Amino acid sequence: MNIEPSGEAAEYGRQASRAFAAAGGDRLAPLAEAEPERRGALVEPVLRELGAWELRPRDDPDDLEAAAALCRSAGYRALAYPLAERLARPAGLGTDGLLVVDGPAPRAPVAGLDLRWTAVTLDGRRGEAVVRSGERSLDSAVVAELDVRPLDAAGAGDVALGLVLPCWTLLGMLDRALDLTRSHVLARHQFGEPLARRQGVRFQLADAEVERGGAEALAAYALWSVQSGRAEALDDALALRLAALEAAEAVFRTAHLLHGAMGFCDESPLSWVSRCSRPVRWLPLGLSATRDHLARRLGRHGLTGLFSEAAT
Amino acid sequence: MGPAAARLRGEVRALVAEHVPPGYLGAFTGDPADLEVAQRFCRLLAERGLLCPAWPAEYGGRDASPWEQTVVREEMWAHHEPRGAQYMGVNWVGPTIMRHGTAEQRRAHLPPIARGEAIWCQGFSEPDAGSDLASLRTAARRDGADWLISGQKVWTSYAAMAGWCFLLARTSERERRQQGLTIFLVPMDAPGVEVRPIGSLLGPHHLNEVFLDDVRVGGDAVLGEVDGGWKVVQEVLSFERVGIARYARCERLLQTAPRVLGDAWDGLPAELRTRWARGLVQCRRARLLAYRVIALQGGGRVRPGDAAAYRIAVTRLDQDSAEVLMDIVGLAPPEGPGTGEARRFRLAVEDHWRYSHASTVASGSIDVQRMLLARALLAAP
Repeated sequence: MNIEPSGEAAEYGRQASRAFAAAGGDRLAPLAEAEPERRGALVEPVLRELGAWELRPRDDPDDLEAAAALCRSAGYRALAYPLAERLARPAGLGTDGLLVVDGPAPRAPVAGLDLRWTAVTLDGRRGEAVVRSGERSLDSAVVAELDVRPLDAAGAGDVALGLVLPCWTLLGMLDRALDLTRSHVLARHQFGEPLARRQGVRFQLADAEVERGGAEALAAYALWSVQSGRAEALDDALALRLAALEAAEAVFRTAHLLHGAMGFCDESPLSWVSRCSRPVRWLPLGLSATRDHLARRLGRHGLTGLFSEAAT
Repeated sequence: MGPAAARLRGEVRALVAEHVPPGYLGAFTGDPADLEVAQRFCRLLAERGLLCPAWPAEYGGRDASPWEQTVVREEMWAHHEPRGAQYMGVNWVGPTIMRHGTAEQRRAHLPPIARGEAIWCQGFSEPDAGSDLASLRTAARRDGADWLISGQKVWTSYAAMAGWCFLLARTSERERRQQGLTIFLVPMDAPGVEVRPIGSLLGPHHLNEVFLDDVRVGGDAVLGEVDGGWKVVQEVLSFERVGIARYARCERLLQTAPRVLGDAWDGLPAELRTRWARGLVQCRRARLLAYRVIALQGGGRVRPGDAAAYRIAVTRLDQDSAEVLMDIVGLAPPEGPGTGEARRFRLAVEDHWRYSHASTVASGSIDVQRMLLARALLAAP
């Protein structure tokens, strides 16, 4: 089992992060939200330059690690572009990306992009997803409602990858939120000393980091599970999603509390990372639905581990 | 973890199945037979080189990898620690003596630990020195070539059954409280040592007071340098970075619950089954965080923040899983005639619940871990 991505993947992620910063960095998210139609033109050349579309994450384990690292950097820079979804594109359908959907009113963060999408439900039913023109989600300009035209039921093998890569994006957002918070509490003085001197602040940071670090460990595990084609890859992906969503709740609460009102302002990067996290956190499944799906899937057999045979 | 570790896991499980009675809840019960089980089992492990597998062969180990050591740690804790109190000798007393002991100390102490015959207790905490260990007041003063030790230790697990105490005492007053402390290896049968058990929620033997009244020890009882004990204590803590594999027992109990309940499992409230699933995710999370520390330690790259993050995650898991499991057994139907498995499971869960209360305090409080983690985060470049 892999518990840490390779050094090459990590270096690729750092390279991507620098490229995203050079392409606009923290200005990319506000631009995407203001004009979703322009976001493709802003980031696609950078992604092309980074070789994103040459990656074959379904076929090559190294490419899968590179794709995960790329998603993490995209999250760190709040790219506001469905990179994970594009990297998870299905084989043989000629579409540009894969959207995992759930529920009667599927939505995805794909507004304003001239791309072709395949949708897949958690039980593997695939369809062609078309953005409903003129209808945007109320909470984010980049989220669109979808019409899904049924195609087949051959997508069970697509779902795990389609869930895991967006979690890597979210992980990058958690990295950034904590980095920003750390810098803020070191710099911000209250009661005559930096916030970081206060034990209550330190404890909150520590607790948030435990959540982030736990999600990171599960992200590496779930990636390895997909890489290895394990039968329980979907269980592992849902387990990751559960931990990542819980971590997001903890990290963003702490980050916003410690930033104070400053963290909500448009000029605060935290504000944009936080906004960009919403589609990943609530689509296709929010925390309760993720827990529910996982519990149903685990049934009585549990999650593969040291004692999974105990349940049989 | 590799094929060698997998083989070892099978070997250890077979030994447990054969030599540890079903329903065994550890050596620290009111029944002396449980301690005898642990003593026999330790000797058995020792004969097979499994009591201290990671030790060098010259000291009775088999130079096993940290992963094989992890397997033993996981399997032992998952099965209610059938080594009894021996894990302390194996995990950190022995390695510390290896590093700081004289040739004579190594000869005297390491073979009995490796044979599973020596029980050690740790004399660190005092009534006024808990997390703030450097404020301890137990004092040792020179008397010719000997030392006379007086003071009081508290919360000392296994003191009543221990043959030796790894004791920290003040030997001089210095500017910094951390200076002037020395480690002594003290025989528990020395005149002047008195152990008083403390009744507790955790069950017998877990908590004791140890009174030391002019306990005379020779100069050869000093481990390492006089006044250099704090450095040794820091190393002890580094041996204990991963500590007890608490996640293994949590996972074993959680995974066993559906089988024990049978069809009644499907009748549990959906919310409870969801908490159970979440508990399994938390088990995996804690295990992976432990493995990360072990991997980093193997490469000499361990950072204090990683170990602290693991400790926080695993203590939370311990307590959360205990609450979920208590809810589950509370809703289990009465057991009909059969193997008694449901009763044993209920007792194991109840034991886990009681003991989990100590997990935020044992081996350093969770708040100290939070301070260490925050310090590492804030100091990062």
